[in-house]
Order: sequence, then structure tokens, then C-alpha cells
Amino acid sequence: MFLYNVRIGIKSLRRNPILTALLIGAIALGICVSTTFIALRHIFEKDPLPGKSQTMFFVRLDNWDPARAYNAEDPKSLPQMITYRDMRELMKSNIPTHQVGTYRARMFAHPDPKVGRPFAADIRMVFSDFFPMFEIPFQYGSGWDKAADAKPEQVVVIDQAMNQKLFGGGNSVGRSIRLDERDYKVIGVIGAWKPPFRFYDVSQGPAAVEGIFMPFNFTPLLQLNTNGNSDGWKGQAEPTYESFLDSEQTWIEYWAELPTVEKQQAFRDFANNYVRDQKKLGRFQRPLHTEVTSMPDLFKEFQIVPPAIKSMSIVSLLFLIVCSLNLVGLLLGKFLARVPEVSVRRALGASRFQVFWQHVVECELVGIVGGAIGIVLSVGVLQLIAKMMPQNTVHVGLDTEMVLISIFLSLIAGLLAGIYPSWRVCSVAPAMQLKVQ
Amino acid sequence: MLEMKNIKKIYRTDTIETHALEDFSLRVDDGEFVSVMGPSGSGKTTFLNVAGLLDTFDSGTYVLDGNDVSRLSDTQMSRIRNRAIGFVFQSFNLIPDLNVFDNVDVPLRYRGLAASDRKQRIERALDMVGLSSRAKHLPSQLSGGQQQRVAISRVLAGDPKLILADEPTGNLDSLMAREIMDLLDRINAGGTTIVMVTHSPECAVRAQRQIHVLDGRVVDLETPRITLTRAEAGAGIASTLG
Repeated sequence: MFLYNVRIGIKSLRRNPILTALLIGAIALGICVSTTFIALRHIFEKDPLPGKSQTMFFVRLDNWDPARAYNAEDPKSLPQMITYRDMRELMKSNIPTHQVGTYRARMFAHPDPKVGRPFAADIRMVFSDFFPMFEIPFQYGSGWDKAADAKPEQVVVIDQAMNQKLFGGGNSVGRSIRLDERDYKVIGVIGAWKPPFRFYDVSQGPAAVEGIFMPFNFTPLLQLNTNGNSDGWKGQAEPTYESFLDSEQTWIEYWAELPTVEKQQAFRDFANNYVRDQKKLGRFQRPLHTEVTSMPDLFKEFQIVPPAIKSMSIVSLLFLIVCSLNLVGLLLGKFLARVPEVSVRRALGASRFQVFWQHVVECELVGIVGGAIGIVLSVGVLQLIAKMMPQNTVHVGLDTEMVLISIFLSLIAGLLAGIYPSWRVCSVAPAMQLKVQ
Repeated sequence: MLEMKNIKKIYRTDTIETHALEDFSLRVDDGEFVSVMGPSGSGKTTFLNVAGLLDTFDSGTYVLDGNDVSRLSDTQMSRIRNRAIGFVFQSFNLIPDLNVFDNVDVPLRYRGLAASDRKQRIERALDMVGLSSRAKHLPSQLSGGQQQRVAISRVLAGDPKLILADEPTGNLDSLMAREIMDLLDRINAGGTTIVMVTHSPECAVRAQRQIHVLDGRVVDLETPRITLTRAEAGAGIASTLG
């Protein structure tokens, strides 16, 4: 019966192409707008590590000025990153399953002159734990090991886009990249991994992931500086690189994977004890305050979803509702013009519900076709938005989950537009119309 | 087959009440062919609508095929309309954008029959009315008589016990009217009960019994006011044809 209703619905929609185009166009417009804004919100709200994000913890310590808080207006505030020396000490803990200190550097990449000109490349400095910790898939090769961390070995991991840019794609494991004045061997090429934004570095604001990953321990060797944020409160330039590394300047993000409640508590105790020890040495003069925050809580605290996008996604849903409600009148007129046919169907044995369902199916056809067009339009609009965004920001697009949400919204829009007209047409007494056809 | 006792049906608007049926009582036996006559507004069509469960009534009882159908839900009434009753209308009431085959298919769809069963029934019904070759035609491509034959085949495909015909020849010329009446005769001969509302004395006398309705009541159950015999009615149609 469902397929029969679909067939009748298609016939009915073909009967008046202009009206049908209007109906479908309105739904398409509503779905395009709502899908675009909900997709933007979805990009930020989507769990980047499903099933694991609750075990990923971002660690902050309050090494700030004893005289005032990190944010002078909020005495509870503390720096978003930690110092190099504190990261080194925290990394000595064996409580986390994995842990990583990380920051963004910048170097000049020198591709083969036949391929392209040198360019400034953002480099993510990480430890070997970074790859298993953030579940990064590899197309070719793998990440490096702890021995390569310790040495450090001159190896890098690159992503697919960088692999394409430098080597034209393919298995480039074993090939070399020249970064500044050194050659680094490609040890792994990241596979299909497109997090919508750089979720492991939220203190810098949402941005796209880097294309090159390098062992952290090159930092002191190459005397690298961060290309991201760096906060300090002493207001004095450090005379040497060594003194910079030993300073109170905060510029490193530190993540620990703590899969159990016991480990989480143990690590909090460890961090607090570390700060207490440092206090004895004259550091950390503010009241004891450490934050070991899970990834979802951190995203909430940092307001990863921009408030404007939250508001626009709600407004876009209201727009879809308005589009649907505008169709009620058109559908009512269309359906009531068909009362004689409905009367015949009722006389031949169609129940009120069957007539109602037949018309709902027709409205849902409008919803689905309009929704499909709306989704395609939305992909185009999102691509346009992506082009308008500065480079290295957010990866914008529709994922499977978002497409399913849009299809669901299309069905709701069709139902919203059609439920009243369908109810009206099925409520007409059949006996009144059979004589006057 | 059909027994109505003291049926009352009132149409109400804000200002007026119209008593369409008033103490309407009628019994039609299995296999009968009954014609119902009366002036316009006498309640013939209202009676047919109530008999066909297309409309409800205010009081009285209605027993159809041994079952009291006075107070049924919409779904129950729809089910009975679909399985036990067939309708033939004056204006044919075919669905314009469905072809002949699909028009005959409509009631069978609501019965939930398998595709093969439906196909068999439709082909047999179209064969009985001589329209097998027109299965793919749209109603607009057929003459009035052919459209009415399609409507009758739609009834035949459902194989109902009772056919309710509302002026089935009202929109047809004499020759086509005769064809349709012949067809109804043949169907009745097969055992199907037929109740036919008509203005035409020629058609009325083709029934075994004529009933006259006036002001919503049955006024004459047995004695036809118009005393044409079946043979005379046939001659009348023949003379019209010249």
C-alpha cells in the first residue's frame, strides 16, 4: 500500500508542475538554510573521539602572578597552557596511559624545485604518544616510537594533503622533506583523518590540523619558538633560549589519557603534589589551583561552538518551520480540489486513515525531493563558506550524521506542511461529493 | 440482505433542519433487483448513501447481510463498503488520471489482495463488460457508456453481495442506457442484490420491484405507479432509437 501511495503521490505532483515546483522549492530553501547552519554547529559539537573523549584530560596549573589572577576580573582563572619545564616534569608521571605535550611551530618546507617553491609550513610538535592517543589512522607507515622521541630521530609524519603537495600522493614513506636546513625522513602518512578543527589545541581557537608532525624533542635542539599563543606575566625578555625554556612563560598544551576514575584522581593528586613541591622552591605563589579537565568539559568551558552559530542554527530551524507552514495553504487548496476523487476512494472502501496516509505520503515526497535539493544546495553553500574562510581554519562539510539529520528535517518539514491539509481532506464526508462530480 | 427500520436522517445547518429520511423502513431480500423512484429531493440519494454506509443516520436500525450496521466506526464501515457493497454512480466517478486497469484496481488495493489475485480479478471483470482491450486507456478516451461499464467492472472485480446504483443511466443515451441495464440484469441473474435509484420509468420496470419515495418515506412498496411492463419499457427504448 505504501508503494501504491507513492505512485499516486507522484501522479498527483506531476499533474500541476508549477505548484509542485513551488512546494519543493520552499522546502529546499528551508532545508538548505537549516542544514547549513546546523552543519556549522555540528562541526563544533561533534565528539572528535567518540567513546574516548571522556578519558582525555587537559591539564592546567596556576603559575601566574601572585599579585593578580590570569584574568584580572576572574580570581579563579588560570593560564590556558603550561610552561616547558612543568610539561617536562608532568611527563615523568607513569599514571597516564598516554600523554603528550604539544605546540605549533613554523618552518620553511623546501619541496623538490620541480614540484613547487618553498613555503612556510605549520608543524605540530608532539611526542610519539600523540598518534595512538588521538587515534590517528595511517595510510602508509606509522608514527615514531619512544626511542625516536628520546634521540630525537629526524623523522616526520605528514597528512594526505601535504603528501599530495610534496610528493603528488602515493606511498612516500622513506622519502625526505627539507625543513629549514635539515632533511627529515617521512615515516608515516596519515590516512582518512579529517577532524573538523584542531581539537587537541583549543586554546588557540578553532583551526585546521597541521600537515606535518615532528618529534617534540627537536624543540631545544633547534631552539624552536611557538607559532601559537604564548603567555607570560613577568614582562621581561629572557636573555637566552635556555632561560626561556626555564621561564614562567606558558606555551605548551598538555594532554593525559586517564581511562579510569582511579587514574584520574591519582593524576590530580600527582599534579597537586608537584605544585606543592614547586611552591617550596618559590614558584606557584598563588593559591593551589590545578585543573585536570576532560575534553567535553573543556570544549564547553572554551565555548568551542561560537554563540553566533548556536543562535543562527536555532533561527534557521525557525525559518524551516516558517517555510513549511507557508505551504499549508497551498497544500490545503490542492487537496480540497481533489475532494471528489477522495469521495470516490472512500466509497470504494478507503478508510479515513488510509486517505490521510495517502496525502501524508504525498507531502513527504515533497519533503524528500525538496530536502535532497536543499542538501545539495547546502553542500554548495558550505563550500562557498569554506572558500571565504582564511586558510588553516575549520574543515567545513556535511558528514553522514548531518545528512541523516537533514533527511529527518525534510520529513518533519513535509509532515508539518501536510498534516493539517491531509486531516482536512480525510474529514470530508464522502456522500456529499459523489453526486456532484 | 438489507433491512431498514424507522430510519431518520436530518441535515442541520445553523438556521434550518432538513428531514431527508423520516421513519424510512425497507426490506430488500437476497438476490432482489429493486428500483427506487421519486421526485427530486424526496430522499432517494440520502437513502442510498445511508444504505451504502457513506452517511450516518440519526435514529432507527439498519441490518445489512444479517449484521446490525447502525453504529459502526469509520474503519468498520469502510471495510464493509469495500467488501460487501459496490457502487455505480450517475457520473461514473472514475479517477481521471488512472487508466481503466488502475481504476478497477482501486477497491482491490484497499482490500489488501495480492498482485496476482488483483490482476486476475481485474482482467475477468473487464472481460465481463467487454473492455479488455481498453485496459490501458484513460477515462477521457472512452465514451460515456464505456466509462459506466468500467465503473461496473470496478464493482464486479470486488464481487460484492449488494450493488447500489444511483441513476446509472442518467448521463447516457438510450442505446447505452439499454446496454447498462442489460449488464445489470445479467449481474442480478448471477445472484447479486441490486438497489437502483432512477428517474427513468423505462429503467425502473427492469427491476423486480419498484419502490416509491416521497418526503423521506417509502410510500408505495409493491404497486408500481407507472405500469409499463418490461417488454413495453424495452419497446419504448427501441422506439426512441427509431
